[in-house]
Amino acid sequence: MRSKISGKAIIATSGGVDSTVAAVLAHRAIGDRLHCVYIDTGYMRKGEGEGIREMLGKIGIAVDVVDAREKFYSALRGIASPEEKRKAIGELFIRSFEEEARKSGAEFLVQGTIAPDWIESGDGIRDNIKSHHNVGGLPKEYRLKIVEPLRDLYKDEVRAVGKALGIGEKAYSRQPFPGPGLAIRIIGEATPEKAAVLQQATSIVEEEIESSASKGECKLPWQYFAVLLPTRTVGVLGDKRAYGYTIGVRAVESIDGMTASYSELPHSLLARISNRITRELKDNVNRVVYDITSKPPATIEWE
Amino acid sequence: MDIVVVNFGSQWTHRIWRRLRDLGCETRIVDVSTPVEELDCDGLVLSGGAVRIGSGGEEEVGHAHDYLDKLERPILGICAGQQFIAMHFGGVSKPSENPEYGKVSIVVEDEDDLFKGIPKRFTAWASHNDEVVSFPGFKLLARSEKGVNHAIKHESKPIYGTLFHPEVEHTEYGEEIFKNFIGVCKG
Repeated sequence: MRSKISGKAIIATSGGVDSTVAAVLAHRAIGDRLHCVYIDTGYMRKGEGEGIREMLGKIGIAVDVVDAREKFYSALRGIASPEEKRKAIGELFIRSFEEEARKSGAEFLVQGTIAPDWIESGDGIRDNIKSHHNVGGLPKEYRLKIVEPLRDLYKDEVRAVGKALGIGEKAYSRQPFPGPGLAIRIIGEATPEKAAVLQQATSIVEEEIESSASKGECKLPWQYFAVLLPTRTVGVLGDKRAYGYTIGVRAVESIDGMTASYSELPHSLLARISNRITRELKDNVNRVVYDITSKPPATIEWE
Repeated sequence: MDIVVVNFGSQWTHRIWRRLRDLGCETRIVDVSTPVEELDCDGLVLSGGAVRIGSGGEEEVGHAHDYLDKLERPILGICAGQQFIAMHFGGVSKPSENPEYGKVSIVVEDEDDLFKGIPKRFTAWASHNDEVVSFPGFKLLARSEKGVNHAIKHESKPIYGTLFHPEVEHTEYGEEIFKNFIGVCKG
């Protein structure tokens, strides 16, 4: 990285393992010539911005929080196709980085791209499965020079790098979180209203699963999250008819994200998740389902 | 030990590279258009891919015929790679009536070199739309519990094929299968 980067570089962290490790690595390599930003897309998890500032602050990296919520909401208005969404997000990310880079005079963009990102984005005879925002979702033209130190690694290897860098278990063992965030977990159009619903459902799923795992009732899955389905179904709440959305719960076991099997979570835990979601989100959600598909044939994320 | 991975376009081609690297091999991924003269190696792996072998997709990777004709090194074909190998020697690959995605139970019928030291039954991960239904000059090493032909070996050459994917983490004994293949390459 030292030989590749002359002058300043910008990096955006999403709170996931890859961008965190890439940020720490880049900071070690070029020190204060690194400008670290967190783009609040409006599709992040609850309290994410604060969490990242605190986590990276401990390691001595300052993070600038950029509020881009309105930009992302309006760019995604009316878009339902997963590929169009990913490409719109990829484009908006790079334009936001360019704007931030202009302020700090950075010419380089450090990305936490790992092997599955470019593999699944397709190339040549390798089929496009999904366009990752940092690879297949990039627009054709952009001004920044991209540096990707983790390109040949998988998640388990990135964690080993994080551990070797001494960044603390909480940072390197965090579950994966996609750059496009909750936008690709809202199936169909990702409206701000739906983002708020999913944000809450996500924190319930995380809280319940993490609490069960800490009590030894189950193993902490490799990844666990909620998705919001666009189909409405009938329910009955306090003798009144309801017609609300469905939340899908996904929890998987994997090593590298390239294959996965669903986690055999205890029924009592699934019941608690279902109860809490349908109670706390009663105006919007009246059904919860558990995803029991492996990868392949499904992917881990739904879009 | 230098083993080259020929890319048929699989999501898991890079996983094959990682397996080989983790086992201490020199390895690199090459495009299927690479001339055989440039493949200076001790062994070759043909990856899987989205190409439909037996439905015309074999032409997209047609350059690989040369490797089978001229290389004279141990070769392991995985999924589409295996189907291509079988077709090259006069076999038939066609769309599966029961395609398998994800978990399959493998039953080893003849351990040969590839399955040495591995239990007779194990769990593997597959992802195929096609399968080999005839493979003249080859013997069957393993099938799935559902009866799908999963692993084959040439009667006289060190050429192997598996329909399941030994390179992915969810396949049990995948590392051992690669170790066995590396053993064959060492000769």
